[in-house]
Amino acid sequence: MRYKSQSVAYWYFAVSMGLFGLQMVFGLLSATKYLGPDPLLYVLPFDVTKVIHTNLLIVWVLAAFMGGTYWLVPEESRRELHSVKLAYIQLILWVLMGVTAIIGYLFRYGTGNKLLEQPLPQKLVIVLCMGIFLYNIGMTIKKSGRFTTTEGVLLLGLVSSAVLFIPALLHYENYTVSIFYRWWTIHLWVEGVWMMIMGSFLAYLLIRLSGADREVMEKWLYVIVALVFIAGILGTAHHYYWVGVPTYWLPLGGLFSALEPAALVGMAVLAYGAIRRSGMAHPNALALHWAVGSAVFTLFGAGLLGLAHTWPGINKWTHGTLITAMHGHAAFYGAYVMINLAMISYALPALTRGRPEGGTTMGYWAFWLQLAGMFGMTLSFATAGIGQVYLERVMGMGYLDAQLKIQVHFLMLIATGTIFVTGVGLFIYDFFRFPPRLMISDDTEQLSPREPVTDDARSQV
Amino acid sequence: MNKRQTRIFAIASTAISALVFLILTVDSHRQFPELTNAETITPQVTHGKDVWHKYNCINCHTLFGEGAYYAPDLTKITQHRGEAYLKAYMRDPSNFYDEEIHRRLMPKQDLSEEEINDLIIFLDWVANVDNQGWPPRPILVTNSLAQHTPGADVTTDPSVTPVESGSDPRALGEKLFNSAVPSCNACHSTAPGVTMAGPSMAGLVGRTEELLASGDYGGEAADVEGYIRESIVSPSAHLVPGSMFSADGVSFMPTTYPESLTEEQIDHLVAYLTSLR
Repeated sequence: MRYKSQSVAYWYFAVSMGLFGLQMVFGLLSATKYLGPDPLLYVLPFDVTKVIHTNLLIVWVLAAFMGGTYWLVPEESRRELHSVKLAYIQLILWVLMGVTAIIGYLFRYGTGNKLLEQPLPQKLVIVLCMGIFLYNIGMTIKKSGRFTTTEGVLLLGLVSSAVLFIPALLHYENYTVSIFYRWWTIHLWVEGVWMMIMGSFLAYLLIRLSGADREVMEKWLYVIVALVFIAGILGTAHHYYWVGVPTYWLPLGGLFSALEPAALVGMAVLAYGAIRRSGMAHPNALALHWAVGSAVFTLFGAGLLGLAHTWPGINKWTHGTLITAMHGHAAFYGAYVMINLAMISYALPALTRGRPEGGTTMGYWAFWLQLAGMFGMTLSFATAGIGQVYLERVMGMGYLDAQLKIQVHFLMLIATGTIFVTGVGLFIYDFFRFPPRLMISDDTEQLSPREPVTDDARSQV
Repeated sequence: MNKRQTRIFAIASTAISALVFLILTVDSHRQFPELTNAETITPQVTHGKDVWHKYNCINCHTLFGEGAYYAPDLTKITQHRGEAYLKAYMRDPSNFYDEEIHRRLMPKQDLSEEEINDLIIFLDWVANVDNQGWPPRPILVTNSLAQHTPGADVTTDPSVTPVESGSDPRALGEKLFNSAVPSCNACHSTAPGVTMAGPSMAGLVGRTEELLASGDYGGEAADVEGYIRESIVSPSAHLVPGSMFSADGVSFMPTTYPESLTEEQIDHLVAYLTSLR
């Protein structure tokens, strides 16, 4: 840790870890309900466990993004954060928002609008937090007078995240119109601006971990951003299938979401190229595992499995089945969970006392158990979904009868889910095992990799 | 390409994509009123939508295939189930399905009658939105296709709750539809357009009303209930056109029901069948 204010990242990460653990509890609970009967039918029905599961994901992933940014920006800007106090106020507000929303869901207090269930007061706090965050980051960069491409892409991603949240605050009389704008927030977050954030994290990590040339990395970052937006913006169309919008969204969705893997291939190639050029030279090989793993798993989960059911002729049959759950789990995990765990693994040796730079054995167990578990879960959803599509959609078997026929896949889901949760548990335990180090120390300086210094002049804006 | 060129590429392609997207959004707004029958969005439809949100329905069910995958899609439900059935169902789902058999059950939601009413009106609005003809074939909540294993006792069809004598007559009728000997559902589907050995029961009420008004009807019934009762006890009184349904003026449907079913059971079947759309 070179800058004292970077230590705020630790608390953002700590909050993320706590919420990640809680998300697992509600995920496993939801999975067991697929087997049924449900003894908690009137205490904690599926709709409640599911909404908490997805909302916790959003809250902790965003908290980790913010933490990662607070870690990254001082180092890129070579100065302390504008205000540490604001960063803590923002974190406290964020936690209060998340916790009250979750407690509200237990009592069915929410808007019931998929993925945007947060009640209006919570939504306003989200806006406030984003405002504080952008102000703080923006001021830090402004004061430093040094603005790298990685930062620029990151900042643009974060600003767009905030702007795209605005449609979620509005009320629509027409259900179809409300669906139309829901995806402005959710899709353009997930497949647009979050991708930018992920790309800039990845570029940052690869520059640090592999010592890759910044000029080359950032050039590719632009290409990736271009590909993300070419495919991502018009790819929103794949959420407009069969919901009552004009028909031209169908071929558009097919065409542009078929292009989405291009950006993901770009990221994977970038990661592979960086590793090839410089080898696994950086001592923090665990963080490198997560970073490269993220690029590869995103390509698999978001790219390949998304492509599998994105063409309208196929989607006509698979739409609204467990095939979507297959894609959703693998994509989110690869793109957003793994990149955050990469960032955390990278920052952690500097943020805690006594942790070996190369990662612990437990850290590696966490990596491989999670990977194996999530791969198994993806296969469980896939096999269940294929069965469901065939029996229910093609053969015309009733929904409830078809669900009974695919029970064995739900058993597989619970088994592999348990493996995954074990991996998550190990990661969280490993996180909290070493006490935080909140002072600057010189020994981390020499462990941080060398960085080419040629680019600074040109990167300045 | 150098870094500057890639930056221009990124900015230009993003701007073009965003511009196209915005133009199409404007055009979609031009078309929404017609595609979604916006003039039929009454305060009741809006209230029904609020009910749909208030009870968090979308985190189990799907609408337009969007939502969670734990419970059936409801996009076209009002075309499969009549208002009377849906109302009785919403009052207490456990009268219709058994958690021990399906391993899942919808919790009773305790909606007010007004909420139930408006929710159904909202769902009927959804069913009529022009959504490119999805789903390509009807998504059924349940049918007996799954249960017909060789040697199985068809009288204990588990696709519905083992209802008790005090249950809703429509629920009793649905049970009977699947369990009478021979079972009705062996030949009659309740899905639109799914013709098995007999005509589909979907659209029965509307078709019968047209038939009774048309003058082509030769039986003795005066109303829809009477027609359905007559079809059960004396299937040949009126023949539905089609060489797969009858020959030489005699229906292929069994004539054993007046003996095998009690008068009360026939009432239940009539109550159930008149509740289908």
